[in-house]
Order: sequence, then structure tokens, then C-alpha cells
Amino acid sequence: MRTHFAEVLARENACLAGVTDGAKLAGWRRRVVEELMTPRSPYVFALRQTGDGAERADFLDRWRELIAETLDRLLQSGATGGTHCSSGQAARRADADPHKTAVLILAALHGGSTLSRIAKDPWPLNAALDLALAPFTATEDNSPARTVMSSPIGNMSP
Amino acid sequence: MTTADSHNGRRLTARGAKTRTRIVTAASDLMYVKGVRATTLDDVLAASGVSKSQLYHHFDGKDALVRAVIDHVGERVIEREREALGHVSTIRGLRRWRDALVQNNALRHGAYGCALGSLASEVSDHDALARQALSRLFTEWQGLLAGVLRRLQDGGGLAPEASADQLATGLIAALQGGYMLAQTARDVTPMATALDMALAHIESLSKG
Repeated sequence: MRTHFAEVLARENACLAGVTDGAKLAGWRRRVVEELMTPRSPYVFALRQTGDGAERADFLDRWRELIAETLDRLLQSGATGGTHCSSGQAARRADADPHKTAVLILAALHGGSTLSRIAKDPWPLNAALDLALAPFTATEDNSPARTVMSSPIGNMSP
Repeated sequence: MTTADSHNGRRLTARGAKTRTRIVTAASDLMYVKGVRATTLDDVLAASGVSKSQLYHHFDGKDALVRAVIDHVGERVIEREREALGHVSTIRGLRRWRDALVQNNALRHGAYGCALGSLASEVSDHDALARQALSRLFTEWQGLLAGVLRRLQDGGGLAPEASADQLATGLIAALQGGYMLAQTARDVTPMATALDMALAHIESLSKG
């Protein structure tokens, strides 16, 4: 199990470091969804409820911190979402809590991938991430959750 | 008796039905506490006190038993959720639903999670029947939450353009993921946080 945890953390460390605006955050999300819909991906093994509890807890803490740091950076730079957002959204983003949002994102990845696995459809995972990432994305992005896809991996490209 | 046996559709005698229930109840408890993979048929025999031949009379093997456990647990969870959500039409009502789930889970420091969610995270990719049964149950649960959100929309508590189905699915995912985070952390806090953040987003949609 250690290899899956280490593998995911190494990749997340690299990918999240490059997330500097809302569009790159959307790119990160598409890539993670694709990983979670790929049966033998280390992401799938890492989120499965098996193996050493303490090691899993440590893995989840570190991933959560990476996500929170990224969100915090986006908030500091004011570079979230698209260019067309309502003042309501802007206000919500201003008081968005990166640490609590990171907990919801991790829960959405966890719960959403379980629902998507039993449904063999990325729709639930995308619906979960739409909700979790809402304060950090514009409403104008063509939300993948609204796109019906016939295959598990669908037409998502990295 | 009206109970039909799972794999051959035979009518069961009252005694047969009772034995079957004893097996399924014991298996459900064991799989909840130990997990599906770690639960053996020998464990189920020991916990239910039935004989091997009785067990094989009702179930071909572990896969058939797992499917019966999914039906049994699913029925209980959906009944509980129908009772909890069936008449909810306000954000306050949704928060009460959240409080009850979090508090129940806190009693055990989140150790076991959601009985249905644990089955979903453990069910084998190769057992299509079990997977489909779980998928139907979660769709039903999501439908109950979407019903709440539509009633919220009817009462002006949620923007009409919000997708009730999408939000309901997002909320179920947050709940299930929250259970899993709580289970790993042996602490219910991440579950509470995930649900609060998801509900805060839904509430924000009413304010435009």
C-alpha cells in the first residue's frame, strides 16, 4: 500500500504546485477524475478502505494539506474561477475557507469515486466535485457532470 | 409466508424464512464490523448458529449472501432515510438530518461508517449484480434528497435553475466521503465539516 500512497502524493505534489488559476484547477480536477475512473490507477488503490489505518490517515492528511495550500494560494492571488462571475460568487470566494473546502474536496473524491465505481459512470464523481469546487470555479465552465458519458472514462482528456 | 428464496424463487416455510433472516442478519453485522472481504462463511455459521447445510440450502455461496446483505442493509437505510427526509422542505430540516447522522456516527468515533457505503466501497468489481443493486439503492437515496431540494425550490429556498439531482448526488458523495474520512481518522470531525461545507454551498444558492 505504501507505494500507492507515495505515488499519488508525488504526483499530486507536482500537479498541484502548477495550479495557479481556475483553469488549471479545472485541469487538475479532470486529471484526478480520469485517474479515479481507471481501474488499476494508484489513485483507486490509495482511496480504497484497506491497508494500514495510520498510513492511510497520514496519506489523507498530506493530500488534504496539498489541496488546502493550493486553494489558499488561489485566494491570495485572486486568480480563481473565470472572468465572468457574479458579485455573489466573488463574495463567497472571499470568505471561502481553504482548509474546510479541502476536507469537502477529499470527501467528494472519496464518496464520489465510490458512487461512480458502482454506477460505472463518472457522473456522480463530477457532481460531487462541482459542488465541492463551486467557490473556486466559474459557473460558465462547461461542467462535465452535465455531460452524459457512455464509457467509464468517457471523453475526458488530461 | 411470502418471502421468496433469493436464488431459486422457492417459497420458504416460516421456519426456513426465520433461518434465512438469522443468516442474513448475522452476515450483515459481521460485514459491517469486519468488512465484506474479511468475513468468511465460517464466521457467519458461528455467529448465526445455523448449520452448513442450512446455509447452503439458502445461499449458493458468499456472493449470493453478499447480495442478500445488500438488500437487507439497503432496505433498512432507505427506510431510515425516507423517514428522515420524506417531509423535509427547509435548509433547517436538512441540517437536522445532518446532525442526526453525524451524532449517530460520533457515538462510535466514526469507526464503522455507513453500512451501505461500506458495502459499496468493498463490493467486487466482478460482481455486477451486487454493484447494480447498490447503484439502485444509492439512486433511490439520491432521489429522496433531490425531493427535499425540489421542495426547497418550490418554497423559494433554492434557486430554480439549480440542478436538484446534481446537488443531491454531490451531497450524498460528501456524506459518504465524510464517513470514510471519519473512519480513517477515528474522528467524526471531517464528516461534519464535509457536510457543513456542502450544505453551506446549497444554502448560498438561495441567495443568488
